[in-house]
Amino acid sequence: MINTKNLIKVFRTDEVETTALNNVNLEINKGEFVAIMGPSGCGKSTLLNIIGLLDNPSEGELHFNGYQVENYTERQRTNLRKENIGFVFQSFNLIDELTVFENVELPLLYMKVSGAERKRRVNEALERMNIAHRAKHFPQQLSGGQQQRVAIARAVISNPKLILADEPTGNLDSANGEEVMNLLTQLNEEGTTIIMVTHSPSDADRSHRIIQLFDGHIVTENMRQKL
Amino acid sequence: MLRILLNTVLRSLYRQKAYSLMNILGLATGVTCTLLILIWVEYETGFDKFHEDIDQVYSVYESQNYADGDVFSVYSTPAPLAESIKRTFPEIKYSTRMVTTWGQLILSADGKSFVEDGGKIVDADFFQIFTFPIVEGEKENPFKEENSIVLTEKLAQKLFGELDPIGRKIEINSKFDYVVSAVIQNPPANSSITFDFILPFQFFGKLWAYDLNDWEANTFHTFIKVEEGVDSDDLAAQLQTYIKDRIKNSNVDLDLQAFVKYHLYAINTNKVGSIWYVRVFLLVAVLILLIACFNYMNLATARSERRAKEVAVRKVVGAQRKGLIGLFLGESIFFTLISLGIAVVLVELLLPVFSDLTDRDLSLGINNIKFLFSVSGIVLLTGIVSGSYPALFLSSFLPIHVIKGVSRKDSALLRKVLVVIQFSMSISLFICSGIIYQQLKFLRESDVGYNKNDLIYIEMADDFNSIYPKLKNELIKIQGVYWVTAANQMPVNFTNSTWDVDWPGKIKDSEDILFQLSFVDYDFIETFEMNVIQGRGFSKLHGGDSLKFIINESAAEKMNMVHTIGEPLQIWDYSGEVIGIVKDFNFNSLQVGVEPLIMMRNPAAFKYIGIRIGEDVEPILNKIRTVWDSTVPDIPFTYRFLEEDFKYFYTAESRMSKIFISFTIIAFIISCLGLFGLVSFVTERKSREMALRKVFGANMDTVFQLLLKEFFKWVMLSNFIAWVLSFFVMEWWLKGFAYRIDIGIGIFILSGFVSLLITFLTVYQQIWKLALKTPVRVLKYE
Ligand SMILES: Nc1ncnc2c1ncn2[C@@H]1O[C@H](COP(=O)(O)OP(=O)(O)OP(=O)(O)O)[C@@H](O)[C@H]1O
Ligand SMILES: [Mg+2]
Repeated sequence: MINTKNLIKVFRTDEVETTALNNVNLEINKGEFVAIMGPSGCGKSTLLNIIGLLDNPSEGELHFNGYQVENYTERQRTNLRKENIGFVFQSFNLIDELTVFENVELPLLYMKVSGAERKRRVNEALERMNIAHRAKHFPQQLSGGQQQRVAIARAVISNPKLILADEPTGNLDSANGEEVMNLLTQLNEEGTTIIMVTHSPSDADRSHRIIQLFDGHIVTENMRQKL
Repeated sequence: MLRILLNTVLRSLYRQKAYSLMNILGLATGVTCTLLILIWVEYETGFDKFHEDIDQVYSVYESQNYADGDVFSVYSTPAPLAESIKRTFPEIKYSTRMVTTWGQLILSADGKSFVEDGGKIVDADFFQIFTFPIVEGEKENPFKEENSIVLTEKLAQKLFGELDPIGRKIEINSKFDYVVSAVIQNPPANSSITFDFILPFQFFGKLWAYDLNDWEANTFHTFIKVEEGVDSDDLAAQLQTYIKDRIKNSNVDLDLQAFVKYHLYAINTNKVGSIWYVRVFLLVAVLILLIACFNYMNLATARSERRAKEVAVRKVVGAQRKGLIGLFLGESIFFTLISLGIAVVLVELLLPVFSDLTDRDLSLGINNIKFLFSVSGIVLLTGIVSGSYPALFLSSFLPIHVIKGVSRKDSALLRKVLVVIQFSMSISLFICSGIIYQQLKFLRESDVGYNKNDLIYIEMADDFNSIYPKLKNELIKIQGVYWVTAANQMPVNFTNSTWDVDWPGKIKDSEDILFQLSFVDYDFIETFEMNVIQGRGFSKLHGGDSLKFIINESAAEKMNMVHTIGEPLQIWDYSGEVIGIVKDFNFNSLQVGVEPLIMMRNPAAFKYIGIRIGEDVEPILNKIRTVWDSTVPDIPFTYRFLEEDFKYFYTAESRMSKIFISFTIIAFIISCLGLFGLVSFVTERKSREMALRKVFGANMDTVFQLLLKEFFKWVMLSNFIAWVLSFFVMEWWLKGFAYRIDIGIGIFILSGFVSLLITFLTVYQQIWKLALKTPVRVLKYE
């Protein structure tokens, strides 16, 4: 599903040049659950953002479902993103002015889904995330765990083929984190490809494969035995 | 989609109540002021336009050129001019003279008498040139009969009540019989020519012995209406030579002024034309609108900055840039539309007050549609500009930047520039209004060269000299009446002048200078408490004092007189000698300097009685009334205080300055809103930093100082810009005054102090608010 060839990402500021990714070659197949690990600053988020088409690589190729996408225009990226990718962030990134329901509904609004259909799907997603009773609340009225569940609901509402999660449990206590991991695992079992950045070995245990990054390089890829 | 959109807009409006309210109200207030001013401007520029074919109507005016380089322009023209040029130039379709009934006339009808001073004396063509609608009676030519009088509806009602006025008799000054031939609509408030009644020109000859064939005297307004398509410059050039043929060796030029300019461009150089106010207020309107718009942009962009995250999230989940641009533009335009709506309501509510303030009958009507449109246009543009910032700038962010919270390049610089411009403008307005206030106060309070307090005067209708000597004898006996004198004009408004003056050592013609001329009685100097520098005033003790002159300092200077007293002087055919010099005193508004003046005693010209009274005004007035009623029982007693006339000079100025100052205050408040918004925006952005500092035990002082320093810097910059700007503008304005203040440093210091104080308080208030919050709240919601 995803294929990278010699991905390089260099950040240039006034004085320093940071090479965040250095010749990253990666292949991720449909239905996989991949965890990316590594010390802080090694380039995990950078890699995830490039895969998610939120950021451009400096060099190298990125293939998505067989299309070469690294030179896509902003418009093409957005279209590709909204049909294929769901995002879950460490800091939730919900819109404060919108209710839980409206936050989850948002991606559908950009996909021309009818009102009744939207309502049905949002309610379904909220129930599934066990947050339906909070539909009319605003994000700031929720706990961190609840907010992350809303964010996951938003990520899955468009039935994406790929979910990118950057430290989804980073801001949560273990019980809430556990719940989020259960949800992700369940989604993966239903066929969604998941790429997750994490610092937690126990979270990584849920994945099929762990990619170890160090200083912008992939150091090891250990296939885990499928449970 | 639209529902969600509207929801987001309204919620963000609600969540940032104070912000949004300030934003919307600031713009609404600014737009309201601008609209009010523009309605007034429209009214002022619309004067006299209700006449049909008004662009074919011209005033003929005279420019008199003097040896000292002065050009003195007046609407006064010779009596034969109107008829003569109409006969000579086929381009001129109609012409009329016009003169105000000098002083009061007594109109008697049905045994009742009324003292009226609002009459015009005109030729029959008047009704062809000016199309005041005639509502009753003779419509084509109201002056068919020589003894016709035309009344306004108002005066007809006053004289005859409900009776049909047409054909009724009116006796004027118990001597002349007139018949009402027509009733004319009251001239509208935006008419330069106002009257209560109109008399045919023959009346002028009946009342005053005046040589109506004299080309050298100039007394009358002349109005002409030309054929369609006539080039007025051509015609004026022809008039030029025409007058030279009539008046030999004349220093007079004739010129034409389109009548539509009559109201705003008074040619009389003694007065600041209303156009000055129109221009100043147009400038103020533009400034206020700019301040309001900048303020709106400022607050709006600051507000949108907080929505960077929203934009990023929307983009991550699939929003296209185009949609986002639409979202922000739509939102911003929606806000400005609300402001516009509020402004229109406010204008409607405030118009009555503003009409009072301007002494004009203003309304929001069809005439103002174009203003409404252009202001709406500017406001919408403001909406678009302030919406474009988030629309284009924020939506161009790659979502990654916002989500990572990295390069939040913001528009701080742009915003600071906007605030500096906005502040410079309002501080300039502040300084200007301060200086204008000082100047007007100075004019009101400055010494005019005589004592204008406790001085009343009586304007006599007729028969001056049969009444005055008797009256003076009786009046002077009253306790509390100190001096009684007579004159042809009061020193609030001298209008007589001549250049036909001869003195020893005068170089013929090349020293033709315009002298003001006044005819005054004995005790004039004493009554007005003027200062005699040399010689004496007119006095009965010295016999007739005819052919004696008193001149003012300026006149003495102009004539280069060394030994003034006893010097021979000749005015027209009168030869006499100078018996005294008075210290210069003002006989016009202080906007004009003192001109050379010659006074002589000529009882035939007297029209006013001046009375110097004691401080105990009421009882003295009662006694004067009693004396009057027993001496002249058939004329009602009317009098005026000189001091009030004096105030009248400055009513226009003081009214305008009041309005100016009000608008300045509003502009200042809007700017303060802008500052407030900016400060709260910046403190808010720093709130996380400060919460953290607090967690780690820092006090707020350092943060406070840091912020304060930052803002002081910008406010001081605004001050400097405003100082320079307003200094030059005000210097230019003050040049128009003969008596003026020097611009002091005080107002500049005050402006600096006030603006810094406001900044200090704003920053302090914001920091205080923040300090009260528990860090947890701040940190949780970041
Ligand atoms: N916009 C940027 N400008 C400059 N340098 C950047 C930028 N973004 C990331 N970097 C640098 O690139 C490197 C990789 O950053 P990245 O955010 O991918 O790390 P990470 O592995 O996600 O770390 P963490 O586990 O702490 O989130 C770091 O050294 C970082 O300083
Ligand atoms: Mg990271």
